[in-house]
Amino acid sequence: MISQPAPAASETNYINEFGGLKSWLLTGDHKRIAILYLISVTFFFFLGSVAAAMIRWELTAPAGVVLESDTYNKVFSSHGVIMVFTFLVVAIPSVFGNFFLPIMIGARDMAFPRLNLLSWYLYMAGGILILAGMINGGVDGGWTFYTPYSSMYSNSNVTLVLTGVFIIGFSSITTGINFIVTTHKMRAPGMTWFRLPLFVWAHYATAVVIILGTPVVAITLLLVVFERAFKLPIFNPELGGDPVLFQHLFWFYSHPAVYIMILPAFGIISELIANFARKRVFGYHFIAFSTLAIAGLGFLVWGHHMFISSQSMYQGIVFSLISFLVAVPSAIKVFNWTATLYKANIRLQSPMLYALGFIGLFTVGGLTGLFLGSMGTDVHLTATYFVVAHFHYVMVGGTMTAFLGGLHYWWPKMTGRLYAEGLAKANAIIVFLGFNLTFFPQFIVGWLGMPRRYHYYYLAPEYQVYNIMSTLGSGFLGIGFLLPAFYLSKSLMNGRKASANPWGAHGLEWEIPSPPPSTNFLQIPIVLDEVYDFDPVTEYEQDRAQQAIEHAHEHPGMMDSHDETASKLEEGGH
Amino acid sequence: MAAIAHDTHEDHGALHHQFENIEQQNDSYIVGMWTFLVTEVMFFGALFLIYTLYRSMYQMDWYLAHEELDVKLGAFNTIVLLISSFTVAVAVRSAQRKERGLVLANIGITIACAFIFLIVKAFEYSAKFEHHLYPGPTFGAVPEHLNGANANYAQLFYGLYFGMTGLHALHIIVGIIVLSALFNLWWRKCDSVMKDYIPTELVGLYWHFVDLVWIFLFPLMYLMPKPH
Amino acid sequence: MVTTPLSANSHGDHASHELPFGTLVGVLILLMVLMGLTIGASYITLPSIGPIPGIVINNLVAVGIATVKAALVIWFFMGVKFASALARIWVIAGFLVLFLMFGILGDYGTRKFEQVNGWETNVPHNGGETALPRVWPPEGKPSSTPEVEQGFRPR
Repeated sequence: MISQPAPAASETNYINEFGGLKSWLLTGDHKRIAILYLISVTFFFFLGSVAAAMIRWELTAPAGVVLESDTYNKVFSSHGVIMVFTFLVVAIPSVFGNFFLPIMIGARDMAFPRLNLLSWYLYMAGGILILAGMINGGVDGGWTFYTPYSSMYSNSNVTLVLTGVFIIGFSSITTGINFIVTTHKMRAPGMTWFRLPLFVWAHYATAVVIILGTPVVAITLLLVVFERAFKLPIFNPELGGDPVLFQHLFWFYSHPAVYIMILPAFGIISELIANFARKRVFGYHFIAFSTLAIAGLGFLVWGHHMFISSQSMYQGIVFSLISFLVAVPSAIKVFNWTATLYKANIRLQSPMLYALGFIGLFTVGGLTGLFLGSMGTDVHLTATYFVVAHFHYVMVGGTMTAFLGGLHYWWPKMTGRLYAEGLAKANAIIVFLGFNLTFFPQFIVGWLGMPRRYHYYYLAPEYQVYNIMSTLGSGFLGIGFLLPAFYLSKSLMNGRKASANPWGAHGLEWEIPSPPPSTNFLQIPIVLDEVYDFDPVTEYEQDRAQQAIEHAHEHPGMMDSHDETASKLEEGGH
Repeated sequence: MAAIAHDTHEDHGALHHQFENIEQQNDSYIVGMWTFLVTEVMFFGALFLIYTLYRSMYQMDWYLAHEELDVKLGAFNTIVLLISSFTVAVAVRSAQRKERGLVLANIGITIACAFIFLIVKAFEYSAKFEHHLYPGPTFGAVPEHLNGANANYAQLFYGLYFGMTGLHALHIIVGIIVLSALFNLWWRKCDSVMKDYIPTELVGLYWHFVDLVWIFLFPLMYLMPKPH
Repeated sequence: MVTTPLSANSHGDHASHELPFGTLVGVLILLMVLMGLTIGASYITLPSIGPIPGIVINNLVAVGIATVKAALVIWFFMGVKFASALARIWVIAGFLVLFLMFGILGDYGTRKFEQVNGWETNVPHNGGETALPRVWPPEGKPSSTPEVEQGFRPR
């Protein structure tokens, strides 16, 4: 491990090397594209959060508060469309995958830089179309656009929004092509498959899922657009078409899509756990293979979204069985991460807090998925708030938590600045507590029978107390999402400069300066070490030395403790 | 440099900066193109799935409705596309051998074949429109052309017919544009195609895929066997 | 794949792998012949083989011939003969997952086995109603088969 000196103000990096808006908008540099994505993804996330806030506000009273029923339908649909298609599918791969995949494998750039830039423009075009649809009045059939409502009867902006989603699908596909070819073809000498960070494995599997699944939803949504715009009947039951066919084709993608959302998050968590427990991830090979298994099995379970759709019961049995099977690789990962923590040198810094939160929240989300995967209980629980709570546990408690964890972990590398660590730790706790207060009551109220996507529940006023708890929690969660926007932006302005490796982590990205130079490496590295190459003895000794330093400096109180800790790590270098 | 994306007029020939050697670059592009073609397979594949389902449900009506399609025109189009596939394969081969004249000739024939295909398609479509066979409120206004099929299921058939052949035709149009751009690059003797056969190969792969779709579309749409 | 990542071994090197012109012409002729075959086969009702009705044989033959044609195009025209293992894996993977997607048809195939309680008396046809949705002929227009007249999806 080489300790790099802190970059001097005059040192060129990918941010300051080329100036001007044009150099950013026409860039081929995967790091700049990742930053472009970060900005746009954050923008869409906040839009979707506004919609979420409106939903939660509206549900505090059994007969509604401010929204009409039609408007409420549009609000939850826009929350779903924006969050799923413009945030969850895109965020981790296009921000952290784009930024770090080439660096982690020791490449200078992605295989196809211009295709990478195109993917961002496609994302923006699709996102703008979706926004235009929302501004024009929105869609009101839910983000799932079930036919025949969306194809025949909905008089909202389905065509506009679906065209936007279609275009974002292509953005996804181009990103996937880049990841696959880059991982296969551009690894540095010595970087064998089993020396790859698990982050790379995760993104590779994600890319495979993207390539195989996205075109199916593309054609399905396109057919709905054709039905509306060109009157081509495909799912029209009056003419003998089958609306459930839409559901089959839609979920054939949308179930693998949730693996597109969670596999990159798994990758981040593997990195965080390894580097903050300062130990090689337990069962590296198992995690790598289970990632591929999830990607593969994920294509075989789409029918568990359709148990009550008049799908054949016998088909449902098959789907139920395979859904239970697909839980196994995820469980393997959770067990392995937990085993990594055993007798490890755990540093409870803010990214680690997010990672630990992830393990707990994802486990709850995954376990509740089993209730939904078994047909008998699903009949009772489907289309209730139980489902809503389940997928928010895995999506927000899972993907979003991992996104925040990765953002905090890699922020010093991407921007060259350190943020306020104490505030970040507090934020992690706020997010965790706020999240649980928001979504745990939803399990209960769903079990009690509250349907999802319902505006009014005045026939069951006993639901109100849970909804109010949920809304209260969402307020805290919102604070937890807003705070990083502030302290991370503040760090850009006057944060302390980061060294190459402020966390003392392992990985090729930590051996180059923060922020990295445009070509990543001056020379392509030759990889000789295994991945997560922490030596337990060294770790123990350094930990003791660290504690001694911290103890000696604790008393004067002249510096803030979070500055203190960060600077100690910086000086330590390891 | 990595910061601004630009065309590949490097000092060191066709090698782009992010690759170490030309084999790595070539293979990357081929693998990348095949990855894209896999997405196209899944894209059209879903349409074939819908077709399979509905045809198995409405065999007789679809057989009767499909009799309206002209097998001769379909066969002619198939021949045209097969020839275009051949010529583009020859063009790729000539590009590898750096025979510019042959490349230009073959790409030209390919584009001509593509246009012929589209013109024949336009004839077929206009006949359908005239006979009120496009799905919509006026569908079936000329009942003889339904050949006795149930009007609703026939509408479903034509919905898929126009959807699938329409999307295929759209891909042909995109192919014409891309082929023309390629032709232009060869005409102007640009380094990007003269020194590197990969762009020609990639366009060729796309065009072959378009032909592949038609190879399946033709028998499924035009050559249905008569159910009992 | 624990190989060295830089594919210095040139099995992906196309420049030295060209198809002879004669091979290309041969493939084209073969494709035309197969096209003629598939047109001809569509006009004949093929005989049944065992329990499989002749009409199914026809469909299988049509798809089979199309598959052979596609394989010829992929192997020769598209250069998969000389492509790297990775490209070939992708070709196979694409068609494999497509085949998987046809599992959707399993739903429709098994619906007719589901008996729906309480629907038996609803229907003039003996045997009870299944979970298949009922289909009515359109108003005033002729239907194709007598079963549709009675409100059943033709099988």
